[in-house]
Amino acid sequence: MTDDKAKEAASASREAALLRATLEHMSQGVAMYDADHKLVTWNELFRQYLEMPDEFLGTDRTFSDYIRYIGARGEFGEDADVEEALQKRLAMLDRSHSFERVRPDGTVLEVRRDPVPGGGFIAIYTDITERKKAETALREAKEAAESASKVKSSFLANMSHELRTPLNAIIGYSEILLEDATDRGDKASVGDLEKIQAAGKHLLGLINDILDLSKIEAGRMDVYLEHVFLTRLVDEVKTIVEPMVKKNGNRLVVACPPDIGSLHTDLTKLKQSIINLLSNAAKFTKEGTVTLRLSREMRDGAPWVKFEVADSGIGMTEEQMARLFQAFTQADSSTTRNFGGTGLGLTITKHFCAMLGGSIDVKSAPGQGSTFTIALPDHAPKAAAQDDAAEIDHAAAVPAPPAGAINVLVVDDDPAVHDVLAATLGKEGYRISHAKDGLEALAIMRKDPPDIVTLDVMMPKLDGWSVLGVMKSEAQLAHIPVIMLTIVDHRNLGFSLGASEYMTKPIDRNRLIALIEKFAASKRDGTVLVIDDDADVRAMVKSTIESVGMRTAEVANGQAALDWLIAHPQPALVLLDLMMPKMDGFEFLERVRQNPQFVDLPIVVLTAKDLTDNERSFLAERTLLVLSKSAQPISKLGFALAAIAGRNRNMKGAVMADEETQ
Amino acid sequence: MTKILLVEDNEMNRDMLSRRLARNGFEIVMAVNGQEGLDLASSESPDLILLDMSLPVLDGWEAARRLKADVGTAKIPVIALTAHAMVQDKEKALAAGCDDFDTKPVELPRLLEKINALLRNGG
Repeated sequence: MTDDKAKEAASASREAALLRATLEHMSQGVAMYDADHKLVTWNELFRQYLEMPDEFLGTDRTFSDYIRYIGARGEFGEDADVEEALQKRLAMLDRSHSFERVRPDGTVLEVRRDPVPGGGFIAIYTDITERKKAETALREAKEAAESASKVKSSFLANMSHELRTPLNAIIGYSEILLEDATDRGDKASVGDLEKIQAAGKHLLGLINDILDLSKIEAGRMDVYLEHVFLTRLVDEVKTIVEPMVKKNGNRLVVACPPDIGSLHTDLTKLKQSIINLLSNAAKFTKEGTVTLRLSREMRDGAPWVKFEVADSGIGMTEEQMARLFQAFTQADSSTTRNFGGTGLGLTITKHFCAMLGGSIDVKSAPGQGSTFTIALPDHAPKAAAQDDAAEIDHAAAVPAPPAGAINVLVVDDDPAVHDVLAATLGKEGYRISHAKDGLEALAIMRKDPPDIVTLDVMMPKLDGWSVLGVMKSEAQLAHIPVIMLTIVDHRNLGFSLGASEYMTKPIDRNRLIALIEKFAASKRDGTVLVIDDDADVRAMVKSTIESVGMRTAEVANGQAALDWLIAHPQPALVLLDLMMPKMDGFEFLERVRQNPQFVDLPIVVLTAKDLTDNERSFLAERTLLVLSKSAQPISKLGFALAAIAGRNRNMKGAVMADEETQ
Repeated sequence: MTKILLVEDNEMNRDMLSRRLARNGFEIVMAVNGQEGLDLASSESPDLILLDMSLPVLDGWEAARRLKADVGTAKIPVIALTAHAMVQDKEKALAAGCDDFDTKPVELPRLLEKINALLRNGG
């Protein structure tokens, strides 16, 4: 043996020892097979993992022999086809592959086989039992958590319902007792019952908060977009929060420009958010001021509305503000003790603002009060709202209407119509308010009578015909000119029900503007000619009309009226009684309409008479409106009459209203 | 006297609402499920129906559909009442033919306003 050879042998043995050491220190089982699939190198872990019998180690036995052996031992399952398992494995040996094998004792092996250059392959076995267990545990934990969250949400939803049922009884019966006690004049009981009722309502509020939050967390909170008339919203909010604010000796200041307009957003959520902020402000302020201020601003060329709620209360530190919008956290844990509440209000408000495409911010310092600002876009995003209704792109921003602008109420269930009319009429300087159905329209009209109404016919809840009927039966609304907008042409029905004008859809914008301008003709002061034989009625009517800044002239019968009309400039309005001596109202009408000068003279009938059908149709042809003396107190007629006098000067044709309300 | 049919399965709700409406001068007829509601709507010819939506035997939505499909009762205004202040419930009620909608717990002034609006409109 030469030195070289000895060196070579020593080196080879050193490398073999190194390789052996390396293999034995690996945390995996390793086996190398040669080109004939005979096992040539392996480590102890391999032997252990596979319970490899000694006769397979370093002998002539092949990979196939081994697979058949462990197959017979039941490693692939009791009924497995061992030959098939073998063929599958042999077919894969020409490429790298890996798979997991669960051994009969439950251990899981990851098997990886890679071909090596010159034939043969190396197999690496990793015990992944622990990893598998951890993965399974994790998956089960995740599933359990998800199902727990679902269970929690549905539990809360159900529980809220269950809690509400007895609460309804508490609130409802205390209300009944309260009514009884009030009737009896039992002051002691009234006080106690009011406390029960207030506590019940408070509890109901807390339950509602929890339900809201669980709905938000479960992603089941829906957004319902509609036109929200902001001054109306502010009035409602004011009524609700005023008692809360006053409780701590605070003053409520509301600053809302009358021409603030409307938002296309979720009314309930917006209202709840503002009430939340105001009630918080009231809670954390004593003998101070709580202010609600609305203003408009442009953001990236789009109109937004800002709702600021400012208080002069205790204020907050930076740290407290940081925690403000998190669920179940009030600025200080002692807050709940001192001030009550769930601490969910602000979290819910923040979620709501985000759903409506807006934001909420807070500015505060300890002792300096706090100001919360909600900012919302004119149109809440549709994506968040899942609103399928078609919308018109607001390319051109509509300028704010001037103060005292003519107010047109658009009543339509189709948002597209609102958008078209808002854009068209807004440009002409009209103030637009919106109602999406008949009931809402009537509510808005009663609160803030518009100057002109455009009315759709086919709407949910209360259709256009019904709205028209109700309007013409209410003194306060009867005079408002109504333009029917509809796809169905029932012109005659419209006129017989008291519509002033009639247009079919699609809307001809120019014609609509022309019509509206006609009705918006200046509201001039004028004289009202009162024709009545009863001096008491005349006096009452006179004082009513003069209370709204108009003049009156009085005559006692039809003949005197004709004489007066010929001798004087045309009055703004004639108020006509029917039953009179000498010349009654019917004869007066017949005669006055024969004179071409008086064809368009606005005449309103004020009567106590029960009318026959013939009389009705006679009046319908010749007068603007028939008012029943018994249907409403005359003292309430003033503004309506003034408005009729002012606005119906240019109206062509006579319109009759059906005032027969019970 | 104006006659209101109150269809409500919850005994306490029925008791409270009927007493409070009676105080306000209405004559009240009561039904405890949807089917009874339909029967009384025909036999009693009420001026208005207050219809709970989650009712046994025949639910409120189905009852509303049948009321509005029957010539004899179609003209009677129906106000749907539900405990869930959910928009879908409201839409569902209106789709079933109800003329208006209110949520429980009932706020009496608000409900009275709706009742009167419908009665005015219908009368």
